[in-house]
Amino acid sequence: MTVKLSAQAETKVEEYKKLYPNVRSAIMPALYIAQEELGSITADAITWVAEKIGIAPVQVMEVATFYTMYYKKPVGKYHVQVCRTLSCALMGGRAITECVKKRLGTAPHEVSPDGQWSYEEVECLGSCGTGPMCQINDHFFENLTPEKLLQIMDRIEKEQPDLRFSAVRDALGEGLKGYPKSEVI
Amino acid sequence: MGQHRQILLKNVHCTDQHTIAGYESRGGYSVIRKVLNMEPAKVTEEVIKSGLRGRGGAGFPTGKKWTFIPKGTDKPVYLVNNADESEPGTFKDRVLLERDPHLCIEGMMICAFAVGARFACIYIRGEYAYPYQRVRQAIRECYAKDYLGKNIFGSNVSLDLVIHRGAGAYICGEETALLESLEGKKGQPRLKPPFFPAIRGLYDSPTVVNNTETLAALVWILENGGEAYAQIGTAKSTGTKLFSVSGHVNKPGVYEVEMGYPMMQFLEEECGGIREGRKLKGVMPGGSSFAILTAEEVAKATLDYESISGLDRTAHLGSGGFMVVDDHTDIVEVALNFAHFYAHESCGQCTPCREGGHWVQKIIQRIARGEGLAGDIELIDSICSQVQGHTICAFGEALSWPAQAFIRKFPADFKARIREAMEGRVQHRVPLNYEFQAAH
Amino acid sequence: MSAQNGNSQELVTLSIDGKEVRVPKGTNVIEAARSIGVEIPYYCYHPHLSVAGNCRMCQVKVEGQPKLQIGCNTPVAEGMKVLTSHTSAEVSDAQAATLEFILINHPLDCTVCDQAGHCKLQDYHYEYNARPSRFLEEKVHKVKAEPLGPTVMLDGERCVLCTRCVRFCDEVTKTSELGVLNRGDRSVIAINEGRELNNPFSGTVVDLCPVGALTHRQWRFNTRIWFTQETESICPGCSTGCNVKVAVRDGEVVQVKARLNSDVNKEWLCDEGRYGFGRFIPKERVLTATVEGREAPLSDALLRAKQILGEGPLTIFVSPALRVEDYAILKKFVDGVKSEAEVVLAYRERSLSALEQILIAPDYAANLRGFEFALPGSRDHQARYTAALQKLASGSAQSVLFLGDLALSWQDQSLDIAQAITKNHRTVAMISDHAHPAARSTVVLPTTTPLEQAGLLINRAQRLQYAEKVMAPPSAAQTTGKWLTQLAQRFGLKLSAAVSDRDLSIEYLGSEPRLLGLRIAAIKPKGIDLTSFKPGEVPSHTLVEATSLA
Repeated sequence: MTVKLSAQAETKVEEYKKLYPNVRSAIMPALYIAQEELGSITADAITWVAEKIGIAPVQVMEVATFYTMYYKKPVGKYHVQVCRTLSCALMGGRAITECVKKRLGTAPHEVSPDGQWSYEEVECLGSCGTGPMCQINDHFFENLTPEKLLQIMDRIEKEQPDLRFSAVRDALGEGLKGYPKSEVI
Repeated sequence: MGQHRQILLKNVHCTDQHTIAGYESRGGYSVIRKVLNMEPAKVTEEVIKSGLRGRGGAGFPTGKKWTFIPKGTDKPVYLVNNADESEPGTFKDRVLLERDPHLCIEGMMICAFAVGARFACIYIRGEYAYPYQRVRQAIRECYAKDYLGKNIFGSNVSLDLVIHRGAGAYICGEETALLESLEGKKGQPRLKPPFFPAIRGLYDSPTVVNNTETLAALVWILENGGEAYAQIGTAKSTGTKLFSVSGHVNKPGVYEVEMGYPMMQFLEEECGGIREGRKLKGVMPGGSSFAILTAEEVAKATLDYESISGLDRTAHLGSGGFMVVDDHTDIVEVALNFAHFYAHESCGQCTPCREGGHWVQKIIQRIARGEGLAGDIELIDSICSQVQGHTICAFGEALSWPAQAFIRKFPADFKARIREAMEGRVQHRVPLNYEFQAAH
Repeated sequence: MSAQNGNSQELVTLSIDGKEVRVPKGTNVIEAARSIGVEIPYYCYHPHLSVAGNCRMCQVKVEGQPKLQIGCNTPVAEGMKVLTSHTSAEVSDAQAATLEFILINHPLDCTVCDQAGHCKLQDYHYEYNARPSRFLEEKVHKVKAEPLGPTVMLDGERCVLCTRCVRFCDEVTKTSELGVLNRGDRSVIAINEGRELNNPFSGTVVDLCPVGALTHRQWRFNTRIWFTQETESICPGCSTGCNVKVAVRDGEVVQVKARLNSDVNKEWLCDEGRYGFGRFIPKERVLTATVEGREAPLSDALLRAKQILGEGPLTIFVSPALRVEDYAILKKFVDGVKSEAEVVLAYRERSLSALEQILIAPDYAANLRGFEFALPGSRDHQARYTAALQKLASGSAQSVLFLGDLALSWQDQSLDIAQAITKNHRTVAMISDHAHPAARSTVVLPTTTPLEQAGLLINRAQRLQYAEKVMAPPSAAQTTGKWLTQLAQRFGLKLSAAVSDRDLSIEYLGSEPRLLGLRIAAIKPKGIDLTSFKPGEVPSHTLVEATSLA
């Protein structure tokens, strides 16, 4: 069985393979590429990566299931990951999770019926001084209050920005327009 | 940022510092040019003289680590910048990577030159998408100017630099787990011996793994000399250290502090004291993997390795993840938060950590739910003792030392919950933590 | 790695529990301890797999080291002082703790577990912990009764995640079917979707599993191991001579395990051999001597056999799965009775994949080398066998003697041959299977199967091994050696005075100058390499090796 992804994905994975002294190192980038294209780590994603790297599919599965940022089940177009670790928890992280839960009315890891949203609690995201915070896809949203998060979610629903990793850019004005990329200092 | 000497954060507020032009306008890449004309051994010597210790958490002398690379090896030597920064409460490297990526790169160039590495890698945690993009952009700028690649800065030295993205695994901050991950495997720590990275690291080759902050400090050290750096701080904890301050303080953030500075003064003056005028209950000064310090201990402590570990054998300066807890906080909830973290992040490789971590979590969760039993505190302590010292990596200590410190230093919080449960009068509390079961 | 792999013969002296030990450099502490009979318990370690160091059961105290060390990953060093659980409370506490951890999420379903009775979890619990669990929480639930392939079933909850099965498939078969998915206490052994654990050695992972997580699908829930009779023997499937332990109950093979022999099969076994023991047990048994298809008194049958063998040219088809002792008797029989007889070893090569070749020999001839040893100079077996078979099929063979069921290879046990034998009228067969073509011989003598006879085998690599009988033959069945001895008597020759198989082996070893000085007890543990054996020398085993690790 051969799985084909877009020409762009095929090119990208070959670039990554050349970067490292050993092609096996390209598994993790390859999984990210497949995930962006397929939405989650599907059986096809596993097969594709295994073929690209030239290792047993189960070894790709091991990697995909070890790391939390590879989604083994589909996630919503916007996947809200609320930090639950101490610094955020001390500053009210729990209220953020509850706010998301209440707004979406779904269980963690469950995709909303319109396919737009899913959420989960995750461990420390490295924004402890700006907690509570969450990550929506690959964008950080820091110094949150429930109200602020609801506003952000409203805007996202309306503006449908691309918040995927490949859309994270240095310049302002992309992602969620006008929103700070980082509030760390 | 107080009156401390700024070595690492000096330029982070300059809005163009992340660009090569901005970096060079403030003297960037002048040190590496000088270093390229030095003997590599002389570079290592300066670093040894500086007394610089690893800023990732372990505090191992950096120069000494480099000397473990075998001389005259026929294998390639690799350098890995550990930017996994997954220790809870720690976000200092993020500031460097995001705001001064070229400083990190120049530091890596210095190290690579000293140890003879021709391939270097930045392993950055997967969640740092924005810092990733900034570093990658910085790498591209360097390649465009021949600062990276063949014959960097017109010298006969070549260096390739790759940024590699993690994908959500705390354990990948452990250097051998990081190397496994970088090799495209599960991030499970290796057995030491025989896999000391300096001998058998990345792809079985000699490898130096240094933390981002450590590498960034090299630029100043090689500019001003190791002795100048050693003048800062204390005799054994030299230089400055970044502290990521979070929790119940008025001014959280990243601070650069000279080692040896009084902890309480730092907390009161720099961090603006405890929020809402409350009192201090405790501080975890070095991330989540070490013991909490009580307010009494904080009053005695200074910000250096020796002082903190001197107050409590299981406390440590660690990563400088400085988490502050006020007196309105129930330590049972804090302990549960960490226990959940460690159970979730155990790589599952070796028995005591895989099984013990979850067991501790389940007991604390039961106590927090109002179902504590007599003997639970002793049981937690016993399980932790059974885990530590018996695991492949230091995760065993990281999960057990803080848990034991919580029950040892704040027994009243645990006893109160257990007593309530035993007497059938569980009080309603708003928990710190969201209900966990669903998240699995 | 293992002691046997220590590439240097330089010896190192250390002490374990105060006892001095001398072992080759490179030996690890587990093997060094084993060599003086000190047990260090372990789950994940295996001498022929890479060191994983994950179970933490083999911790020992090494003087001068602040933390306990794992024995599997600690090579011996000159002057090293090691304390085990027998002498160190710190070690015994750590091992008890490890067991407590392993058991907290274990289902404790020993009452329905096939591994009960030969389970390292049970054994070690009694020896190194034996205290009630303090675990009051809910256990983690994992996959139950999941087939990994045609042969192996997984119970994820019983698994201790030692990863021996994964390492076997990665390092030995290099087929990489298995992996450990997830992390922390959700870790579970798994096979990738759409693939099966179906390599030629798949059943080996069950042997390697120290607990009941992996079981043989075809032998699940068939018996408790303590109701079986277990025998250490040699697989008769091919000339590799894999060391096995066979469990038999009520005349049926109910489980076959590989036995550790570093010089032969490590602790691996092919599926064809393991699950193929049944093919040596005939469904319809030859239980009495027959002449022309009718039951006959033994004396009549032997008399008729003597007549057939005595007259005219004789072809003797010989099974390659007999014992060296049988071949030695055959040699004497031929020399004394009919030196012009054509003795043909039923030998056929088969082609094997590269993977199969890591262990399997390209034949079905367990004792090919034994035959060659007893009848020196014999060669071109396959060509001579094929020619003799053609002669038999075409009806031009005159007197024919079949020694053992495999005197006709599996694939030659055809209807054509059966018809040729029927037409011949001058055939004698010593066989066990009534459905065998040679059962139509003029004289049929009830004979033991390869599973019913103890004695010597020489494997393809010239290793002399001793196979115990794994089941008792029916009362009338005798070995070919015995039948030949009785026939020889009728020709006035005395070939052997032995009564039992064991007597025969002793008699043979005592009379064969090339094996001078060897006794069964010296051969049995690991066999004797005949390429380096010097007659008269007493072989020394410097290291004790466990006969079974799992």
